[in-house]
Amino acid sequence: MLRQSRSPIRMTLANPNLTQRSHAALENDVLQGALKRATDTFIERRREAITSVADWEALRQRARLVKEHTINHLDYYLEQLVTRVEAHGGKVFWARTGEDVSKYIIDLARARAVRSVVKSKSMATEEIELNHALEAAGVRPVETDLGEYIIQLAHEKPSHIIVPAIHKTRAQIADLFEEKLREGRPNEVAEITAMARKRLRNEFLSAEMGITGANFAVAETGSIVLVENEGNIRLSTQVPKIQVAVVGIEKVIPRFDDLSVFLRLLPRSGTGQKQTAYVSFLNGARQSKPESGFEFHLVLMDNGRTRILADEQMRESLYCIRCGACLNVCPVYQKIGGQAYGWIYPGPIGAVISPQLQSLKQSGDLPFASSLCGACRDACPVAINLPDMLLALRAKAKESDIGRKPTEQAAMRGIAFLARHPTLFALSGKLMRALARLLVRDGRIQSAPLSPLRDWTDYRDLPAPRGPSFRQRWKQKDVK
Amino acid sequence: MSAMTETNQGSVLDDVRKALGRQNTLSPAPLEPFLEPTLAIDARELGERFIQEATAVRAQVHRVPDRRQLVQKVVEICVNQTGEVAISGAELLREINLPEELTARDLSTFMGDRAGHEQMVARLANCGVGVTAADFAIAETGTIVLSSDEPNALLVSLLPPVHIAVVRSEQMIATIDEAIRRTGSERMTGTNPTRSVTMITGPSRTSDVELVLSIGVHGPKELHVIILE
Repeated sequence: MLRQSRSPIRMTLANPNLTQRSHAALENDVLQGALKRATDTFIERRREAITSVADWEALRQRARLVKEHTINHLDYYLEQLVTRVEAHGGKVFWARTGEDVSKYIIDLARARAVRSVVKSKSMATEEIELNHALEAAGVRPVETDLGEYIIQLAHEKPSHIIVPAIHKTRAQIADLFEEKLREGRPNEVAEITAMARKRLRNEFLSAEMGITGANFAVAETGSIVLVENEGNIRLSTQVPKIQVAVVGIEKVIPRFDDLSVFLRLLPRSGTGQKQTAYVSFLNGARQSKPESGFEFHLVLMDNGRTRILADEQMRESLYCIRCGACLNVCPVYQKIGGQAYGWIYPGPIGAVISPQLQSLKQSGDLPFASSLCGACRDACPVAINLPDMLLALRAKAKESDIGRKPTEQAAMRGIAFLARHPTLFALSGKLMRALARLLVRDGRIQSAPLSPLRDWTDYRDLPAPRGPSFRQRWKQKDVK
Repeated sequence: MSAMTETNQGSVLDDVRKALGRQNTLSPAPLEPFLEPTLAIDARELGERFIQEATAVRAQVHRVPDRRQLVQKVVEICVNQTGEVAISGAELLREINLPEELTARDLSTFMGDRAGHEQMVARLANCGVGVTAADFAIAETGTIVLSSDEPNALLVSLLPPVHIAVVRSEQMIATIDEAIRRTGSERMTGTNPTRSVTMITGPSRTSDVELVLSIGVHGPKELHVIILE
């Protein structure tokens, strides 16, 4: 039996932990409604979309093979990519850390007297908080994906990889636009879109630099491939003369022909579309003549990825193509949403890569936010074995001091002791049953005075202990 | 390349090699090609399938039997819009004398010739319609493919609120893998390896607010594809 919490955990800390963030999400009715609608819709659309290919499983296995091959030869393909991009008149910058990325872009912006930058939804730049760095340096970043624009206006964090502002209602967005844009209150979704279009069109026309991420970078041709629906990526890459792509080193794929498998998998897995409205294949500077003023900069970012690469068991977390399918099918994500994960990568993939890109200390609790049901692995278009990696990370967290809770350790030592002493084991069972019976009301245990039992009874009833113990029944040959 | 770039290149690539347990880059044997299992589309049904898929994502598809009616159809769409008609540098559009035909019907046109990038962008942003040709079209997804080989096509198809793309029926291909093979090999062997390509499937769209579909957020609100038989 599920019910509302009778003793909600109070938000007293400035930096709440995963449990506290989850409680906050569970008590937010607007968020619960939005999450249900979003995940139900995306699951249904994806289910329908994958029937439009002949052999979905064959595509997944091929994509996995390509990723595995590329990641195992990442040095070779990165060198090839860089050679091609430079041959096409692009500049390549290798960034070890997020700070390296920010510094390079800020130096470039200063050297070219850039005042404003149009940005297209990019997980890589969110990962390194590029916007903060730009603002601090006096360069104004404008997010242009509608969802990201809403998030930026509200000073919030995204709650879904594909639909970042899914936690906000149209009324909340209308209020936000009225307050921030001062052009009246948009009543319909179409009016919200029109207002954003008008405002952002001016930003596109005045910005001197466009910053994007990349869905794929093709080593063989030096192409950056970008997948989108709104057209903001096209505008960001075609209108300003300076184009910067911030790309994680794991985004490279060997050959142009490899793209067709991924372009079948990604839209179907992400939004349930057969194809997104726009797919752009960009190669180096638009005109190779330097006096034209067009520039293309490819920033290749490590920022913790080589650490993942070095760990053979975790290496396949670099296969991810950021589609969001594992979020939608995850029973934990469905209830707590993206913001509860505490960083920009939510859901099962977030629980796997956040502790690796950040540290176990910062986000080592995330791998425990999973039922290990395996739905994520089944939904993943590159068949990443997420449950196994979640388990491995749990083991790592337990080995380190971070995941070690004194109470849990004491309990485990206690159980180990009892298990070695049969008389005491029987006695403690008897004692526990007697104590439990004291808590029974109307045939069930509905509230317990102490954690950890209380953590359970806050949300569910426990059945009352019934009859003799298993050991007693075994002795009486009462076991069938 | 600056000194700093070179230093960093060394370090990130070194880190990659170290993580992979080697000191020097290893050249891999390429993967065996993948024969994609695809749902076959009969060549005679390509046009029908294209129309079905493109219409499903709210593109408006028109079929015309000859060049005269092609011009007629473009005019028909343009007279309902305000602002200039921007025309890309596509050969097909020159061959049918589209600029002259539109001017003769009191529609002002913009060819983008010789204008600097900033001026061109500013003027295109005020145009009512952009007309381009397409390199080819993909039936299975209702997609048209444009490239920077066609002068100004990428901007003309992006900035005005209405986009008209003309495609000849023999340019229709069945699947995305065919489109990728074609685009890739052109890029590998072509004289212009820096060409950019955009695949367009329906008008600009978003579902970012409450998952409600909204058309025309940044790109064109209307996409017309005219198939010339």
